[in-house]
Amino acid sequence: MSLVPHPPEPPKKPIKAPAPHEELFRQEPGGERDKASFVRAVQNFGQYNVRKRGHVDFIYLALRKMREYGVERDLTVYNLLLDIFPKEVFRPRSVIQRIFLHYPRQQECGIAVLEQMENHGVMPNKETEFLLIQIFGRKSYPMLKYLRMRLWLTRFKNINPFPVPRDLPQDPVDLAKLGLRHIEPDLSARITVYQMPLSDDLTGTEDPIQPHIVGIQSPDQQAALAHHNPARPVFVEGPFSLWLRSKCVYYHILRADLLPPEERKVEKIPEEWNLYYPMQLDLDYGRSGWDDYEFDIDEVEEGPIFAMCMAGAHDQATLAKWIQGLQETNPALAQIPVIFRLAGSTGELLTSSGLEEPPRPLCEVQEEDDDHRKQQQQGRS
Amino acid sequence: MALVHKFLNGTCILRNYLKPSAALHSFWGIYFANYCSNSLQKPVAASGRASQERTEEGLQRHHQKEVALDITSPEEKPEMNFDKAIKDELKDHFRRLKDEIMNHWVGPEGRPLHDVLLEQAKVVWQFRGKEDLDKWIVTSDKTIGGRSEVFLKMGKNNQSALLYGTLSSEPPQDGESSQSGYCAMISRIPRGAFEKKKSYDWSQFNTLYLRIRGDGRPWMVNIKEDTDFIQRKNQMYSYFMFTRGGPYWQEVKIPFSKFFFSNQGRIRDAQYQLLLDKISTIGFTLADKVDGPFFLEIDFIGVFADPAHREEFAYENSPDLNPRLFK
Repeated sequence: MSLVPHPPEPPKKPIKAPAPHEELFRQEPGGERDKASFVRAVQNFGQYNVRKRGHVDFIYLALRKMREYGVERDLTVYNLLLDIFPKEVFRPRSVIQRIFLHYPRQQECGIAVLEQMENHGVMPNKETEFLLIQIFGRKSYPMLKYLRMRLWLTRFKNINPFPVPRDLPQDPVDLAKLGLRHIEPDLSARITVYQMPLSDDLTGTEDPIQPHIVGIQSPDQQAALAHHNPARPVFVEGPFSLWLRSKCVYYHILRADLLPPEERKVEKIPEEWNLYYPMQLDLDYGRSGWDDYEFDIDEVEEGPIFAMCMAGAHDQATLAKWIQGLQETNPALAQIPVIFRLAGSTGELLTSSGLEEPPRPLCEVQEEDDDHRKQQQQGRS
Repeated sequence: MALVHKFLNGTCILRNYLKPSAALHSFWGIYFANYCSNSLQKPVAASGRASQERTEEGLQRHHQKEVALDITSPEEKPEMNFDKAIKDELKDHFRRLKDEIMNHWVGPEGRPLHDVLLEQAKVVWQFRGKEDLDKWIVTSDKTIGGRSEVFLKMGKNNQSALLYGTLSSEPPQDGESSQSGYCAMISRIPRGAFEKKKSYDWSQFNTLYLRIRGDGRPWMVNIKEDTDFIQRKNQMYSYFMFTRGGPYWQEVKIPFSKFFFSNQGRIRDAQYQLLLDKISTIGFTLADKVDGPFFLEIDFIGVFADPAHREEFAYENSPDLNPRLFK
């Protein structure tokens, strides 16, 4: 019988210390995490201790919890968080206080709030400026950071030449339409929805029986497909990934291989096509060597693309339905053999037949794609 | 001192040799830090983190690109002749030195003067073969303990380079980083005879031209100047490059006046324009805080002189942030 007590058993998993004030963010059973409950939790903190002890820790905790509550892009919530700081206490009052960083932890905390605002692209407003002046004073680091945010966020607000809206549509068909419009530079292209997602009543909306198929094709592409030589096959390639903000969608393309140089012919526009001005002008302005802006390299050339689509499923059956839908606007497609070059989940390539005509015994299974199927790019001839 | 560096290099260039161990690097690295600077990582602009130097990324690149380096087929057993390797290396460097000296008779960098003066568009990096990929280093936040992966390989038909991988913004559990997730592709510093650092002179051009095909993610282009007499290791000029996504090739033209200055990963208040006469490296970084796979296909990178672009510098300094500049 030993008088010395046994030491406690070592913990099997690392002990996670609870953060202070975490119980304020505990979810009541049945309550959901949204802005109202977050605001309530923040206000409860002020209620529990009038002196606001531990407000720095509480603000760090609240910044971490913002993402769960979905309020990370809400400016009023950030202003509310800044409101927790006691006013007029941290402002430096003498020269010596101004030299040495006055209340460094609180200033770091203020900077952390502003930094999270910057990371999520939230622009602070006059209320934030007033709060910061009240709390930290005009020459403090949070105020400097606020000035820099105002400057650089406005400078970089509109530099994206292909802007994507922040609130992406939840409906997959709308998302597909947005994505297809995003990647197609031709503005006269037309989007057609070949199939709407239909779900069985028993399974619900998570597992639709019929995936959506949305396609896009421009009039130039239609004309090119009509002139395409039926002896050469067209390929359905995919799926390629496209990122819209934080959502990844996949698209497939219908394209043909590049014609060898001997078969390419340049179409001559007849002179009577346009009587107002000449279509071909062969002037030599006497440009010398210093006016040569061409790069000394052969650019990568690829075959023409005839159409693109985004579908819910990436298997051959869905894409075959897309081809069938395309045939209504491109009757020439019926004579052209279509070969599917997909990276299926099995990693194999599937072959297919031209739909109306029996297929010529053309090139069958071509390359295989390795396991990086999400990062692959177009195949060329 | 130069001879010992040749020893290091000599073991590296023997083609089918085993990759040098980390112990060797660290031992010699103490003495020859400035010689080994080409294998140290150029710090990239991550979102608000201080830059640090790493020596493992050179090994990481070896590992990523040549997986089967250790396995040699029985027919091509190399003769590991150490003296021969050193002699070859010396001959190569002397030849380069001779070329450099003789080139001055022909013109700058061996091209006739009127070509250089009249040139308006120049291809600086192209990707038409495996040796073009050797001019680039790829890094990711694996060096600080993160989980992103990035690889560089030639695209289909050897006509372009494909940079692909997975980004993961899970911060490493090292107690000091709260955010992570970046991947970068940086060009190597151009070297002359005896590994002398050279730099690019783009003073007659004013726009950067890239022909790329991405997946819709925003990238950041960073340019670093030559660390001549003044140590400018952590300073760089950056700008954003937005990819459209889609199957069409995209031409990106970024004028050099749009590049903003940053030091140690943070934008500085005092901005000055990028001076083009001593450019050392260019790099592409992806750090857009979205987890997932990515790819970027690059056809070529060039510079040209856009006659329509008259702007000298796009950003002005503000008297609130820099009162000393306005006194």
